[in-house]
Amino acid sequence: MAKLWVVAKREYLERVRTRWFFIATFFGPVLFGALMIVPPLVAERSSASVNVANILILDASGTDLGNRVSGALGGIGGSDGGGTRVLPIAPAEMAAAESLATDSVLQRRARGYLVVDSTTVAGTGARYVGTNASTIADMNELTRIVREQVLAMRFERAGMDPLEASSIARTRLRLETERLTSTGRGGSGRVNIVFAFVVAILLYFTIFLYGQNVLRGVMEEKQTRVAEVVFASVRPSTLLGGKVLGVGGVGLTQLVLWVASGFLLYQIREPLLARFGVEQTSVPLPDISAAMIGVLLLFFVLGYVFYAALFAAVGAMVNSEQEAQQAQLPVVLLLVSSVALLQAIVTRPDGGLARLLSLLPFSSPIVMPLRMSVVPVSPLEIALAVLLLAAGCLGVVWLAGRIYRVGMLMYGKRPTMGEVARWVRS
Amino acid sequence: MKRFAGHVAVRDLSLTVPPGSVYGLLGPNGAGKTTTIRMILDIIAPDEGTVRIFGRPPSESGVLDRVGYLPEERGLYKKMQVRRLLRFMAELKGVNGRTADARIDEWLDRLSLRDAQKDWGEAKLDELSRGMQQKVQFIATLLHDPELVILDEPFSGLDPINAQALKDTVVDLRRRGKTVIFSTHLMENAERMCDSVCIIARGDKVLDGRVADVKTRDGARHVALALDGGSDAGVRGVLADRSLVRRVDDSSHTIEIELTPDADAGLLLRRLVDTGAAIQRFELVQPSLHQIFLDKVGASGVETGMSGHG
Repeated sequence: MAKLWVVAKREYLERVRTRWFFIATFFGPVLFGALMIVPPLVAERSSASVNVANILILDASGTDLGNRVSGALGGIGGSDGGGTRVLPIAPAEMAAAESLATDSVLQRRARGYLVVDSTTVAGTGARYVGTNASTIADMNELTRIVREQVLAMRFERAGMDPLEASSIARTRLRLETERLTSTGRGGSGRVNIVFAFVVAILLYFTIFLYGQNVLRGVMEEKQTRVAEVVFASVRPSTLLGGKVLGVGGVGLTQLVLWVASGFLLYQIREPLLARFGVEQTSVPLPDISAAMIGVLLLFFVLGYVFYAALFAAVGAMVNSEQEAQQAQLPVVLLLVSSVALLQAIVTRPDGGLARLLSLLPFSSPIVMPLRMSVVPVSPLEIALAVLLLAAGCLGVVWLAGRIYRVGMLMYGKRPTMGEVARWVRS
Repeated sequence: MKRFAGHVAVRDLSLTVPPGSVYGLLGPNGAGKTTTIRMILDIIAPDEGTVRIFGRPPSESGVLDRVGYLPEERGLYKKMQVRRLLRFMAELKGVNGRTADARIDEWLDRLSLRDAQKDWGEAKLDELSRGMQQKVQFIATLLHDPELVILDEPFSGLDPINAQALKDTVVDLRRRGKTVIFSTHLMENAERMCDSVCIIARGDKVLDGRVADVKTRDGARHVALALDGGSDAGVRGVLADRSLVRRVDDSSHTIEIELTPDADAGLLLRRLVDTGAAIQRFELVQPSLHQIFLDKVGASGVETGMSGHG
């Protein structure tokens, strides 16, 4: 046991001492901070930049729709009706009018031109050509205004009072969502889905990253033949166990630092946002309990052990980086499969596929936390998943240990599956 | 006994290393030396048979802590700082950190890896030259002051200065009552350094015992003969007598003669004198280990390619 500690300590300290660890550990909070500050910042900037004023309206509808739209645009466009001009034209002259309008857009006298005609009045379509045609916020705004004016006009035609027609046409619905769980209500449903994705990707990322780390470490020991010297002092299982523990410790350290700094950043986000000149916006926080974090860490640890053992076995089998790339493919695919199905799982978090994948050891470390963040999962099911995963870990560690023991001393060509099977049996 | 898929690497090998001696494990490449050493160290398990170190199985806790091992294929963690690496290696052998630190300084001084200007202990291993890396590996082998030191092909890849340092250290270890086992295919080194040897070929033991005994048992039947003016027909006639002479190895200055097991060297000398040849030198010599090795390995028919004669 003392020697296991010696090995684990070396693995841990040698990794924590690297510049790489330093950068990765500080990159996390920076990213988190950026995620918190940039969206409100962008939202504020983009709402200020909506600008659909100074356009030409070619009105071939034979109604006052063009003037109505112009009036509504003046409301948001600013001072003088936003420089919007309305040109009533006959449908037959449209082609000529459009080419003139195109010229004035190209000469920057207008930002673009809007074509409204009988189809617009019928409520099916309008056309816009302009320099800002690909600016989503601008186009959304323009669509909304035209739609409101068409509605108002048609309500009036149906005999409604103009004021009432206008107020009905301006109706905007905002859907407030709130998530209900057995432990109470809180957070919005959308926030929880985002949180679930973040958790799943983070778990996938860290398990993959540190699994790879184990693979490279094992390969280094095999290639440099350090393994042979160490095996003369400790059992192969001690070296493997110490490595998995040490590297896992680094991963856990990093995760804890990330979570802690993220929490801290969230606490001080008001002064932070104020400093960036963003007004306080209500960023809803997902409802996560301490128990949830505990379960997440448990799934990380077990999932990491499961995959680290597999990666270690691959590392012991191969002789070069190129061989490793090929040999690790099955392991990587196993890990990626659960991430590839994220969308399907989030869409139906209680479906058969999600249920199955949240219990199978190779996918449960990612899928179960994902499901747990979206829907309430019965404690029994969670316990079963943990139990199956722990059993899977034991099996995989045993298997990897046997491959490792023989593979580390076998140089030369890459073994076939038959040979590996013989190592396991021996 | 150890079998690998399809072939037997070491067969029925039984050897005893006397404590406090320098023991050579000799044999051509592929003889099974490294496999034998790995079995001694419990790196691989024998399929049959047992290993005892200090009278205890090597798998028993604490036994391997008293053994130092320098593998044939050298290798250490390249990115580690030398001092931390050595400390790690010592801790793996159960030496506590503080004791290790003191010994590391001592060793760095002794092998001139540290002086007033430069302390290589602070450098990373891959910043060191090959020769210096070998020194570091050597320190790692001996840092925990093992009672049994096992060196697998210790001279391969060593520059002459490091090779001499290694020989000096082996002598020093023996003087301090430690046991050293080393494997080599270089007989000159073995002959100079070993008290006892075991020669193996193709997984079989060919012979073992004290170097002096081996030479007496298998030697003293050789005569070095030097003639002024070279051999004439008369001399060649005498040497062709198969009742006296088993084999003749005629190199330019000296004729090496292997006598038949019960031949009388005096009779041979008298008959040579009778031919009237001008004898400059007639000497009974002990054969070199190299000679014995070639004879035995060749005679056992295991490695015909190495025997040098029919």
